[in-house]
Amino acid sequence: MMQILRWSAGRVMSALITLLGVSVLIFVAIRLMPGSYEDIILGPLASAEERQLLAEAYGLDQPIFVQYFAWIGQVLTGELGTSYVTQSSVSGEMLERIPVTATLTIMAMAVTLLAGVPLGIWTGVRSGAKQGGAVGRVVSSIGISVPEFVLGSIVIFVFSQFSLGLKVGGFASIGTGFWPTFQALLLPALVLSVFCVAATARTTRDAVMGVLVEPHITAAVARGETAGHIVRHHVLRNAGIPILTLLGTITAYLLGGAVIIETLFNLPGLGSFMVTGLGRRDFAVVQATVLFAAAVFVVLSLVLDLITSALDPRVAVTGKAGS
Amino acid sequence: MTANAPAAPVVSLTGFSAEYRTRLGVTRALDGIDLDVARGELLAIVGESGSGKSTVSQAIGRMLPRVCHVTSGSVHVLGRDIASLAPDAIRALRRESLGFIPQDPIASLNPTMRIRRQLELALRPLGRPTDLESLTELLASVKILEPDRVLRLYPHEVSGGMAQRIAIALTMAREPEILIADEPTASLDAQVRDEILTLIVDLVQRSGASLIWISHDLGAVRRWCDRIVVMHQGRIVEEGPAAQVLDEPRADYTRTLVAAIPGRQDPTTKEAE
Repeated sequence: MMQILRWSAGRVMSALITLLGVSVLIFVAIRLMPGSYEDIILGPLASAEERQLLAEAYGLDQPIFVQYFAWIGQVLTGELGTSYVTQSSVSGEMLERIPVTATLTIMAMAVTLLAGVPLGIWTGVRSGAKQGGAVGRVVSSIGISVPEFVLGSIVIFVFSQFSLGLKVGGFASIGTGFWPTFQALLLPALVLSVFCVAATARTTRDAVMGVLVEPHITAAVARGETAGHIVRHHVLRNAGIPILTLLGTITAYLLGGAVIIETLFNLPGLGSFMVTGLGRRDFAVVQATVLFAAAVFVVLSLVLDLITSALDPRVAVTGKAGS
Repeated sequence: MTANAPAAPVVSLTGFSAEYRTRLGVTRALDGIDLDVARGELLAIVGESGSGKSTVSQAIGRMLPRVCHVTSGSVHVLGRDIASLAPDAIRALRRESLGFIPQDPIASLNPTMRIRRQLELALRPLGRPTDLESLTELLASVKILEPDRVLRLYPHEVSGGMAQRIAIALTMAREPEILIADEPTASLDAQVRDEILTLIVDLVQRSGASLIWISHDLGAVRRWCDRIVVMHQGRIVEEGPAAQVLDEPRADYTRTLVAAIPGRQDPTTKEAE
């Protein structure tokens, strides 16, 4: 029990340090970008006084660490500030947009798991067979190497040109019920998931092939167990560990991919919020969205670590069982 | 010795040849092996690494690796030509009649499951009881001292000797007629090695099963086995009663092997080295 507590405390500490690092990085990086807030808002012809007034209004004339601590102080009290451009509350806007991005990434994750894992198991178990191997490799290579803005553009073109049952656009219906939201987000989620499906299938295949040559599988075969029994009880559990590790990476990828997909499909999510904010040097918006995405990722990796240690007693945090 | 075996052999290889086909070329693994194993017989197959002895043991369970191709001959187990068996039938044969004891016992257990769960998973499809009491009894039968504690452990938490006892329990619980042990003590230290061999031979003799024991350890082989088959480069170069083969070897290769036994003059003290 003490070990679990100590481990958890350590993980929470390192998560906090990660978030602190992210906050410093994004705060500094956005201020290092060419083109200051005053340039973007006032244009090149503004006078020095005008620029000074604007900078003062947002505290941009203060030394950078003063600005940083003022912001962090705000964040710690749960206040993400107001948009420099629209003057509306950033947290209010984010609350409206989070469900869109969350639904999009969860749908993409579901597609990844439902398609990628079975595909990987199937090709892994069949890896010794002569047929099928090459096809699997070609498909996964294409899936991994085609960027989603290319794939997304093709999908948008095809689905808007021909009526194939799914509309491109019509995103006003998001949030008006399960079914309309699902329909509106299906295409973007599919495009977003293609890379992840391919990567998951490939990792799963390698993991399954790695487990299949282990002596405990040979032992199970020698005991006359059926293929189904062996895959269900012995292969999946062992192959699950690298797949879980990959899921952490995939989560990060989905959050990043959402930025591109939301912009491409014009979805009112967090990603497009971030990109718009970036274009307008809306510091409050960019800082808040990046920090939020980092927090989501950190929490998810923590959860995945816990599941991994439950699956593999050799990396257990709980110490030796029963002894 | 083989000719006057009273009943039909339980395992019979006839003119059995096999080769490994890899990217690097073709390697002949077995070359015209003829071998009969009688019911209740304790047979040792000895020879250096690469002599083909493990390939013989795998061929008996039709468990040859994919790159290994049978080129001629046949393997009969309990009178059935195993090449002709459907997947279901070969699984049933492995399940009901064959028992393999692994070389690396810890690796032969699923690292992600407690011992108890593994025993349950392996025994339930056979219709054997899997309640705590039966499992405790099973582990006690292979002389595991605190069976109820061991049941709660993961494979990485038990010693090699303990894991081998568990693997033996898993195998013997199915009461196989033919037990195949491919260097079952290779990864164990000398003292545990003796205990495990005694346990295997004891269980085999009590159940009346046949034992095919692949070994490097000529001293131990001499002590336990009825008959020895010496293999070299995929062929059987000599076979016969254990004492005869080791004391009066006829083939040159056997002589080299025997000469290499450490402490040949006094096999009881140094044989386990």
